[in-house]
Amino acid sequence: MQVLAGSDPMLADWLADWRTRAHVFEHEVAKVVLGQERVIRLLTIAVFARGHVLLEGDVGVGKTTLLRAMARAIGGTYERVEGTIDLMPTDLVYDARIGDDGRPRVDPGPLLRRGGDLSIFFFNEINRARPQVHALLLRLMAEGTVAAFGREHHFPHLQVFADRNRVEREETFELPAAARDRFFMEVQVKAPADAASRRALIFDPRFHHMDQLIAGVATDVLDHTCLDQVARAIQNGVHASDAIAAYTVALWDAVRAPDAAGIVLPGVRMDRLVQGGASPRGMSFLVRAARVRAWLEGRDMIVPEDLRAVFPEVMAHRIFFDPVYEMRREEIAGALCRAAFETVPAP
Amino acid sequence: MCLAAASVRAATVELFAPRPFGYFLGDLITLEAVVTLDPGFRLEPGSLPRPRPVTYWLDLRRAELADLPQVNGARRYRLTLTYQTFYAPLETRGLDIPAVPLTARDGDHVLNLTVPAWSFASSPLRSLIAGGGANPMALQPDIAPRPHPLRTDLRRAGGAAALSLACALGLAGLRGWGPFGRRRPPFSAAARDMRRMLAAPPAAEAYSKALLRLHRAFDAAAGRRLLADDVPDFLAAAPHLATAADTIARFFHASRVAFFGQGPDAAMAEMAPEALLSLARRLAVAERKGAVRPAAAPAAREATA
Repeated sequence: MQVLAGSDPMLADWLADWRTRAHVFEHEVAKVVLGQERVIRLLTIAVFARGHVLLEGDVGVGKTTLLRAMARAIGGTYERVEGTIDLMPTDLVYDARIGDDGRPRVDPGPLLRRGGDLSIFFFNEINRARPQVHALLLRLMAEGTVAAFGREHHFPHLQVFADRNRVEREETFELPAAARDRFFMEVQVKAPADAASRRALIFDPRFHHMDQLIAGVATDVLDHTCLDQVARAIQNGVHASDAIAAYTVALWDAVRAPDAAGIVLPGVRMDRLVQGGASPRGMSFLVRAARVRAWLEGRDMIVPEDLRAVFPEVMAHRIFFDPVYEMRREEIAGALCRAAFETVPAP
Repeated sequence: MCLAAASVRAATVELFAPRPFGYFLGDLITLEAVVTLDPGFRLEPGSLPRPRPVTYWLDLRRAELADLPQVNGARRYRLTLTYQTFYAPLETRGLDIPAVPLTARDGDHVLNLTVPAWSFASSPLRSLIAGGGANPMALQPDIAPRPHPLRTDLRRAGGAAALSLACALGLAGLRGWGPFGRRRPPFSAAARDMRRMLAAPPAAEAYSKALLRLHRAFDAAAGRRLLADDVPDFLAAAPHLATAADTIARFFHASRVAFFGQGPDAAMAEMAPEALLSLARRLAVAERKGAVRPAAAPAAREATA
């Protein structure tokens, strides 16, 4: 196992210490969310890459539990909002009510209540909220600012987690492409596959009471105010060679023009499949995530495995298909990502 | 009137007939009549005979009228009549082709002419009493077909066959059918290429190329791009290569260092070029041995299960 070979041994030690804390963080979260090691690893990568995450999955697979456990382990304050069809941007920013004295009052809403220290903002069922709310969220994610009470509020440590379920489509608003592109990752959460985890989830009374379960997670494992600094150090400390740069570009080409790369998927016309997307921002996110993964694995260089481990979550939601194939997106996007890694020669 | 009478006498029909004998059932007989009219007269087109059955045994097949050059202002025609006889006589017998009336006209003056009747002898096809033992009505053997020159066709067919064979071979080569499928196994091909690459005192670039060549051999053996993390799964599926597992792990590590880490020079310290080449040779040998083994593999798997 290689140690980070940074120029400064102090910095290397500091990063190694943070890596240990990251593993502790993963371990703490894994205590309450069974059988989701891959999802937890991806969310840890997002935390250390300072990226916003959209969780997607069935009802009741533990998305909210997972996020609450993470919020507790990261530390700092968190707020949570449920998306509804009549939720308006002002509902996030202001809290309008009748005061004790019987006079109308406007107080700071969920977003502003905790001030600039807010570290995690949950948005449950984001696709139930209207496009106006998406727009507010877009700015919050991209710039970390919100305008309210006549001035700008900054959230330097904020990370947005959103979730949506794919079961219903009624009374939902599909996220615009721009908003989806702002999300660092889109993670699919599925019910755990192994029998032991499933049995435990059903029969172990520990998992029946969520608040008690979450209370079992150690708090403040990571110092949320330092995360930005750590993220910067990781990005500077992990080395990307020319070979990996060429490989990344080849992957990008393969995803944008799969027919030219010789990728064939059954039942899909490859020359018509991909209409656009896979933005340069997406590719830079990909490399960011790969660097964090390399660091978590204890390496000081990106290798193709790092790209492969994060590729579907970081890239799949940025690739836009021909409308004919959009209905089969999940299946085709997964197959396309797999095929790209099976086709593009590494290194 | 007198002049007209003299003119009438001047009009003639001369018949030119073929031989008057030796005709059989179905023969064509062509009579030619040269008609010379008096000046001013012209033949009535309506009076010309039309092709038709003349009697029960005689058909008029064609009647053609051609103009001949005029002589002293008198019109001349050649009338060609083609008859066909269907008379089947039992013995030679004389027959008559009846006369053909023609009409010429000059204004109100009408002149009647006649192509004279003509007699000929028609003969039977065979004698009345069949002589000898052979039945003359028996079916004769078919006429042998005329030989058709086949040389050019044969040459073309041969050319097309050669062309299709060449195309089929080319396609088989491209798709790896039949004997073409048994190409050189990936590791032994890689070992051969790498020996050439590393022949000279190996520089960093040649070393990188050799690493890549061995990577491509692993890709070919796995049927997809093989990354370092996939090696344990790959070796589980290809147990005959597993004896070299440690060296393979070292190779993947050296390749990481070469391409993603400090560079080929550092990688050469991790795994010397000779070690790289010996790994390739070892894999080539294991691959040849393993190629025989898969038939026995299922039994072995059951035994362990």
